[in-house]
Amino acid sequence: MSAPTHAKGLRITLRVWRQSGPSASGAFETHALESVSPDMSFLEMLDVLNESLVGTGKSPISFDHDCREGICGACSLVIDGHAHGPDAETTTCQLHMRHYRDGATITVEPFRANAFPVVRDLVVDRSAFDRIIAAGGFISVNTGSAPEANSLPVGKPLADEAMDNAACIGCGACVAACPNASAMLFVAAKISHLKLLPQGAPERESRALAMVEAMDKEGFGNCTNHYECGAACPKGIPVSSIARMNREFLRASLKSSPPRGAAPEGA
Amino acid sequence: MMAWLQKLFGSSIGKKLWMALTGLLLLGFLVVHLAENLLLFSDRDGAAFDGYVHTLTSFAWIPLAELVLAGLFLAHIVQAIRVSLQNRAARSTPYALNPGHGGRTLASKSMLVTGSIVLLFLILHLAQFRFGDAAARERMAALVRGEFEKPLVLAAYLLGLMALAIHLSHGIQSALQTLGLSHPRYTPLLQKLSVLIAVLLALGFASMPVYFFASGASR
Ligand code: FES
Repeated sequence: MSAPTHAKGLRITLRVWRQSGPSASGAFETHALESVSPDMSFLEMLDVLNESLVGTGKSPISFDHDCREGICGACSLVIDGHAHGPDAETTTCQLHMRHYRDGATITVEPFRANAFPVVRDLVVDRSAFDRIIAAGGFISVNTGSAPEANSLPVGKPLADEAMDNAACIGCGACVAACPNASAMLFVAAKISHLKLLPQGAPERESRALAMVEAMDKEGFGNCTNHYECGAACPKGIPVSSIARMNREFLRASLKSSPPRGAAPEGA
Repeated sequence: MMAWLQKLFGSSIGKKLWMALTGLLLLGFLVVHLAENLLLFSDRDGAAFDGYVHTLTSFAWIPLAELVLAGLFLAHIVQAIRVSLQNRAARSTPYALNPGHGGRTLASKSMLVTGSIVLLFLILHLAQFRFGDAAARERMAALVRGEFEKPLVLAAYLLGLMALAIHLSHGIQSALQTLGLSHPRYTPLLQKLSVLIAVLLALGFASMPVYFFASGASR
């Protein structure tokens, strides 16, 4: 499918959310772009706009990015109501302007969730995810020389399933897309990825309890199984991972024993 | 024990579990309720149904069962309102554009609305058949038939049951996911079954007002 391209590039009208700071009230700002190359990525289009803004003494639009190759999870944006834009399983940095027709109007908003407060313009603070990871999204191992790889066999189907979940880049699109701003797909991906592998299995219970508790502290909404998260995820993490997290959490809750040394209840 | 339960059901996953468990128990009640009501069709004068109602209400434990059932409804409703408010509070600035990503459905979006319609319907239903005139309740089959001959009652029942079907079509599959039942092999089937159960249940209940309205009209 070839998009009709303008000889001198695409004319794009951009409605961008501008907000000078976390507590400032924001508003949309409209920019008319002439001759946008269809080969540009969405972020490059913003770069070009920013250059012209700086050139005329205006402040550039702030947005997050890093690798620009779809693997780091730094880029974000809700484009025309879609987290990471309209292309399925594609991050914003991998979205290209050839997707748009000449004369298109595009609305760009930040990821919206109270647990992801706006820092400036399109940049939101996603450190809530870091705190959830710090609560249990790791495996405890002694440092030293790497163990012999063949001493811990992992079956291919299991490795594949773990890898499907390890594909999570922690971008937060699941939160942005969820009608309840819930972070369950992210946490489910981490819990699944680590639980499925022998290295992560020993801590599966403490991890499930700690990560869910950390998630709840951050003010995300509760999952009501809309499955918008799975549909929006740029890495195609399946919502069946959330079912696995539910099982893991329930299992861990049922197995958890009162803290050692605590007086028995009712004593 | 109490602290543990509070921690479990106070967590985000525990809140879903609460909705799923109370919802499934209420579904169980609906299935039994439909089965007993279908006795209305077993004879012309309603003797079988009246006999059943009489035997059932003569059991000493029935008031207790009614209390438990009322508690179940309350537990489901109160939690639904609490969670909905919390979820709304998790995003104070709404999106300017929100076309959806293809996950949510009409049913999943409207749980609070369909649930509220079912609640209104339930209030009407209880007023008619549980807290109505005591003498009339002695002959329940006749009371039911008489009520169902009113066009407004028929309309209210059809609306209430439609809301119930939509509510359950998301509710059942959602409860299964919450309980951790998900697998690429059987989840698509379970999702279709949820819709089927929801529709069959609503049709089963609707058969009574429709039949008695139609037979009343043809008399
Ligand atoms: S910038 Fe790294 S994923 Fe988009």
